[in-house]
Amino acid sequence: MPLPRPPRLWLALALSAVALVQIAAAQQRVPVRRPGTGTIRGSVEFKVAPPGPDRRVNPAGMAMPGALDASDRRRSVVYLDPAPRAAFDAREEPHVRLDQRDEQFVPHVLAIVAGTVVDFPNNDRTYHNVFSLSKTRSFDLGRYATGRSKAIRFDQPGIVRVFCDIHSHMSAFILVFAHRYFALTDEDGRYHIDNVPPGSYTVVAWNEAMPSESGRVQVADAGGEVELSFRFEKR
Amino acid sequence: MPPHRVGRIVLAALLASPAGALAQSLPTGPIRAMDGELLVNGEAVATIGAADDVAFFNYTDYAHNALRLFRISVSGAWQPARRLAFVGELRSEDLEQPRAYAAYVRVRPWVERQFDIQAGRIPPTFGVFSRRAYTTDNPVIGYPLAYQYLTSIHPDAVPAIAEDLTRMRARGWLSTFPVGNPEPGPGVPLVSAFRWDAGVQAHWHSGIFDAAGAVTAGTLSDPHAADNNRSPQLSGRVAVEPAVGLILGTSAAHGAWLSKNVARILPGDRHASDYAQQAYGADAEYSRDHWLLRSELVWSRWRLPFATTAPDGVDLDALAAWVEGRYKLTPRVSLGFRADRLGFSNVTTAASTLSWDAPINRAEAALSYAIQRNLTAKVAVQKNDRDAGRVHRRTYIAGQLAYWF
Repeated sequence: MPLPRPPRLWLALALSAVALVQIAAAQQRVPVRRPGTGTIRGSVEFKVAPPGPDRRVNPAGMAMPGALDASDRRRSVVYLDPAPRAAFDAREEPHVRLDQRDEQFVPHVLAIVAGTVVDFPNNDRTYHNVFSLSKTRSFDLGRYATGRSKAIRFDQPGIVRVFCDIHSHMSAFILVFAHRYFALTDEDGRYHIDNVPPGSYTVVAWNEAMPSESGRVQVADAGGEVELSFRFEKR
Repeated sequence: MPPHRVGRIVLAALLASPAGALAQSLPTGPIRAMDGELLVNGEAVATIGAADDVAFFNYTDYAHNALRLFRISVSGAWQPARRLAFVGELRSEDLEQPRAYAAYVRVRPWVERQFDIQAGRIPPTFGVFSRRAYTTDNPVIGYPLAYQYLTSIHPDAVPAIAEDLTRMRARGWLSTFPVGNPEPGPGVPLVSAFRWDAGVQAHWHSGIFDAAGAVTAGTLSDPHAADNNRSPQLSGRVAVEPAVGLILGTSAAHGAWLSKNVARILPGDRHASDYAQQAYGADAEYSRDHWLLRSELVWSRWRLPFATTAPDGVDLDALAAWVEGRYKLTPRVSLGFRADRLGFSNVTTAASTLSWDAPINRAEAALSYAIQRNLTAKVAVQKNDRDAGRVHRRTYIAGQLAYWF
């Protein structure tokens, strides 16, 4: 007697649940610490909070503009400059997402290693037109509707400013590194860079609204943790 | 120093500056103050084209040529509460005294509902081009004929006989009529994109539907900050977005357009409200990938008295239609075009029957280059063809540099 076919909805839900479990597991994955390497950790604080996103005043508009989320403007990127030689050995082509949601790019700041492919899905009920005129990577994805996505591969290290041609208040930063010794601060401003070989390094903290800050650290031959925190004093 | 020379100097200075230096020295987004409650942004546009004191195809009044203009505008919004905002825009053309282009209060009675009321010098309700006339949203340099081209008729002077009107064909940049204000002056376009009306407007948006209605002092062709005839205009627009990227709209407006100073000198017991401008419009926009296509149609009818032979008035119709588009070739380079036609109904004089103003065709193509995100250079070729006037045909080449923050 043939088994009844599961409804497509249930199949889709089951597959989605499996995918969600995998994503959650990946997010909680603790990086494997290589022996003889260290971790640089600390925090990035602000004397004055970075300004939030602002919509351009459009006197021709007929509706009250919605509020924009400003929380991710505190996200900073901390990286080693220069990076240890071993940093350039890895060869991967990861995929990451930069969503278009509620007329904002989410996340607002993305730090990736060169060779990464970034997907730009549109999750709004309106068109967006993602583009960049940056020398590091210039592109224009055109207009595409809800549920569709286009991708761009970033091969060259540098900073890429991303905009929407339709909504001038939408912007994002993609920092492309030639190595993997970088970290994005979390909601509390904390960061950690793992598997750093022993040696002396300059660590740089970057935020879109601030002049970059830097500091020196020494990772001992035995590895271990080094603390280095930053405070952006001026805008 | 003549304004166009100042514009040329500014244009040269901007072109001479390396883009990187500009990027570092000029703001790239709105300036905020008062904890973000106050936002200010602006636009500077230098348009350089050949002088034209014969054909006047692109004049927006007797002094300003849309293809030879230096314009600075500053917009600001103060939003002290979620439900309340004060919005304004100051504009200066050719470095003349700045004037208030927009100045209104916006209220959202229910925070969660997309229903807003605006009062003051408000954005136009009719059609779409007036609300997107900003340089960054114009695929070419020139303006659509319906929103810019000056017909010969005035709100403050009228013909005595039909011949007075047909004598002014193709002379909208500076026409004159024997009854009313004797001074020569510019006529009116179908819809003015260069002045906004004063009144109250309500706007509602829900899902794929969008609707707006307004009561204003002036009319589409002659907007006013203060009333000139004690007879308001009603206007409205309804739009639907059945699919992402496709917007279809329709508009209508009705209001007395003649000044009360003229109406009261006409024979009989005349009132300004006897002479209305009524208009209907349809608009469509479709975009996909690197394409953007738009089309708009405007039909307007003015009731115009001939003081001697027809004080009750005759209907003068005008129909404008255009298609415009833009295609992005690369992230920095775009091609734009517009094909435009403006036609007029006939009037009968003692000698003949002919259109009350001269029909005109216009085609324009533009190439745009984004030096940086908010600094764009554009060059355009515009061809005009009119069946009356001192000059019937003229082709213009214009360049434009636009910066906004």
